Amino acid sequence: MNDNYHIFSDGRIERHNDTVRLVGLDDEKSYLPIENAEALFLHGQIDFNTRVMSFLDDHGVAMHVFGWKDYYAGSVMPERGQTSGRTVVEQVRAYDTPERRRALARKFIRGSIHNMRANVSYYDGRGHEFGDVIEQLDTQQERLEPELDVSELMGVEATARRAYYSVLDDVLPDGFVFGGRQYNPPDNEVNSLISFANSLVYANVVSAIRATALDPAVSFLHEPGDRRYSLALDIADMFKPVLADRVIFRVVNRSQVTLEEFETDLNGCLLTESGRKTVSKAFEETLNETVEHPRLNRKVSYQYLLRIEAYKLKKHLLTGEEYVPFERWW
Amino acid sequence: MVYVIVVYDVQADRTPKFLNYLRQYLVHVQNSVFEGELTEGKTEEVEGRLESMLEDGESIMVYRMSSKKYVNRSVFGDDPMDDQQFL
Repeated sequence: MNDNYHIFSDGRIERHNDTVRLVGLDDEKSYLPIENAEALFLHGQIDFNTRVMSFLDDHGVAMHVFGWKDYYAGSVMPERGQTSGRTVVEQVRAYDTPERRRALARKFIRGSIHNMRANVSYYDGRGHEFGDVIEQLDTQQERLEPELDVSELMGVEATARRAYYSVLDDVLPDGFVFGGRQYNPPDNEVNSLISFANSLVYANVVSAIRATALDPAVSFLHEPGDRRYSLALDIADMFKPVLADRVIFRVVNRSQVTLEEFETDLNGCLLTESGRKTVSKAFEETLNETVEHPRLNRKVSYQYLLRIEAYKLKKHLLTGEEYVPFERWW
Repeated sequence: MVYVIVVYDVQADRTPKFLNYLRQYLVHVQNSVFEGELTEGKTEEVEGRLESMLEDGESIMVYRMSSKKYVNRSVFGDDPMDDQQFL
C-alpha cells in the first residue's frame, strides 16, 4: 500500500521508535506506519528536525509542503534511489532534438485531449448536450500535425482546454459558477477547487517521477524553467481530467463540498481547512481505485498509473520504443 | 495486499517492544491489537520478526484475510482507523 498521509493540523512530526509520529498542539500523539507510506502532505504548520528528515529519506518517503493558503510550496524528496546518467543524457537529447521533443509534446496533448473528451462524453450521455464540445475537442485532436512547433502545440492544448472547461458551468450544481480559468489567486469557488486538486495531482506526479531516474526539470511540452519540475507539469496534464476533475465533480455534486467551504479574502477565493480535507480524502480514494490494465493483465491503482507513465517515458527515451500516452481506456 | 489483525499477549513490561515494532506497519486499534493492510512480503516479514521476539509463555495471533474485501468490520464507538491518513 502506498499511503499518502495528509497532515492538516499544526504541530510537529518526529521520529519516534522507528516510525514517524505527529504531536499535535494539544500534545496528542498519532503514529504513521512508515512502512506503508509513500509521501507526507503537510498542509498545516509543521515543525520537524533533521532526524525525522533523514529517517524519511531512509524509507524513501517524500514530503510535499503546502504553504500559505495551501498553495503547493515544494517538496523535500528522499535521496534519489535511482541514478542513471544515461537516462538523463537521453532525456536531454530528446529535448534538444526538435522532432523528438515535438513528438513527445504532441503525445502528451493527445493524452490530455483524449481524457478531457472522455469526461465530456460521460456527461453528454447523462442529460447534457455536449456534442459541439466533443466536436471541438476532436478538431483540436486532428490539428496535432507533426510539423507544429511546441508553442503551436501549446496553442492547440489551450484551445482544447478552453472548450473542455466550457462544460463546467453546466455540469456543476447551482451556485457554482466557473466563468473561465483564473489562478494566482483563484477568483471563485470552482477555480479554487481546480487549483487545489491540480496541485495534488502535481505532487503525486513528482513522487512518481522520483521513482525513476528521469530528471523532473527536463520537460518537453512545457518549457523547462527554473525552480519547478516542469516534467511533472507535462505528465500531470494528462491526469487532471481523470483525477482532479472527477474528484471535483463528485464532491460538489454529492454536496460534500458546498459554497460554505470557501473563504473569500484579498480578492481571492480559497477552500477552508475542512473543504481541503474533504477534497484530499476523495482524491486519495480515487488514487486507490483500480482498473484492469490491458497490457499488464492485472489490476493497477490510479496512483500506479502515474508511475507507469514515468516508466513508459523512460523506456521510450532509452530504447526508442514508441511512447503511448495515457489515454483512459475504460 | 492482505488485511491482517495482530493480537499479542506478552509480559506487561515487554509490551512496548511489540507496540513500537508494530507501529511501523499497522494501526494501533486497541491495547495489544493492531490491524491494517500489508503486502504479502511485509506480512511474512512481520510474522517472522514477531516470532523471534517471543519468550516462553507469550503468544501472538495473526489473522490474515486475503484481501480487505473479505473483512466485514463492525465498530461500535470510536474507530481508530477513521481518517487514518488524514491528521
